[in-house]
Amino acid sequence: MNEKLNQYVNGVFAPYNGVKSVDELQADLLSDLQERFNELKKEGKDDETALEMTIDSIGDIEQTVQEVANLTRSLERQVLTNLSSSDLTNSDFAGVTAHKGKFAGSSLHGSDFSSSDLTGSSFKSSDVREANFDNANLTDCTFSTLDLSNSSFNHSILVRTTFSKSSLAGVTFRDITMTDVKMTMTDLSKTTFENCTFDGVDFTNSSLEGLNLDHQTFIGVKFDKAGLKDVTFKGATLKNVSFKGPALSKRFYRAIKTICFDDARMDKLTYAALKGLEADLSKVTVI
Amino acid sequence: MSENKITSDLLRGHTDTMILRLLSEADRYGYEIVKLIAERSDGNYELKEATMYSSLRRLEADGDVEWYWGDGSQGGRRKYFKITEKGKATHASNISNWEYAKQVLEKLL
Repeated sequence: MNEKLNQYVNGVFAPYNGVKSVDELQADLLSDLQERFNELKKEGKDDETALEMTIDSIGDIEQTVQEVANLTRSLERQVLTNLSSSDLTNSDFAGVTAHKGKFAGSSLHGSDFSSSDLTGSSFKSSDVREANFDNANLTDCTFSTLDLSNSSFNHSILVRTTFSKSSLAGVTFRDITMTDVKMTMTDLSKTTFENCTFDGVDFTNSSLEGLNLDHQTFIGVKFDKAGLKDVTFKGATLKNVSFKGPALSKRFYRAIKTICFDDARMDKLTYAALKGLEADLSKVTVI
Repeated sequence: MSENKITSDLLRGHTDTMILRLLSEADRYGYEIVKLIAERSDGNYELKEATMYSSLRRLEADGDVEWYWGDGSQGGRRKYFKITEKGKATHASNISNWEYAKQVLEKLL
């Protein structure tokens, strides 16, 4: 990559960094310019002449950058206003940016949101079965009281995302670091979690019966008043994890004894709390 | 110079149609489009990168073109632009508008 060319283009685009459509324009432009520069060099032009001719071929880029930025904003606005109470079955939203989008009362069955950026959007009371959210940025999104059956969230960005009171049967969460995610009052017994790190995740009052949570990492996670019968944490890492039961609930304490912690690693606090609940910690390593 | 400027303004007004024409022949990537326009005009019109991308983004927003990632030369991936059915219709309608304008201008100029 020609350094000077890169510097020149970076300079022009610097004020707009972070606007996705503008970043894409910059990448497209650089790839064209590089090819032109290489061709001019092949024709025998010296570096300086080739660079000058290449830069000259760009034209009035400032204006184009502004147009592209404005175009994106108007597209985002369209996405923002149009999506409530509408039938969007099998829609294609792959790669879109829709900050704070409202998808309330919509039919989004089978829709494709892969690689989209939906920061701050809310999906309330909608049909979102079999939707694809793989690689999507779902920071601060709300998925509450809706049907997400058989949707997938693999590699998605989940920060402060709320999944409370939703149906998550058949949903897969693979290769995700969840930060401060809320999955309270939710039936997770038919949900798949693989290769995830749970940081500050709240499972209070949810049903996790029979769930396989092997080899995953839990930091500051709450399983308070959750249904934990036959959950497995084989080889998992648990730090500062809380398992508080409702007072006098024999069912909760009986369920704790059915959890498998074989080869799990946990900090002293988590260990002590579980020990007090008479969990089977015979194959646990304290860290 | 000013004569050149007027000519180039006249031509620039037809950038969308030129691009739709090139894409109606085959899917093409950005640099290929500016290069073909220079070649076919025997170097009389040089479409600037900025003008081309401004036009392509507009055509994309209007649903006249789409793009996809294809294989590039030096291992990199190239963005290929492709005309849609709607784009073909836009191209045809732009051509017939031009034919009409040409007839009128020929009588007036």
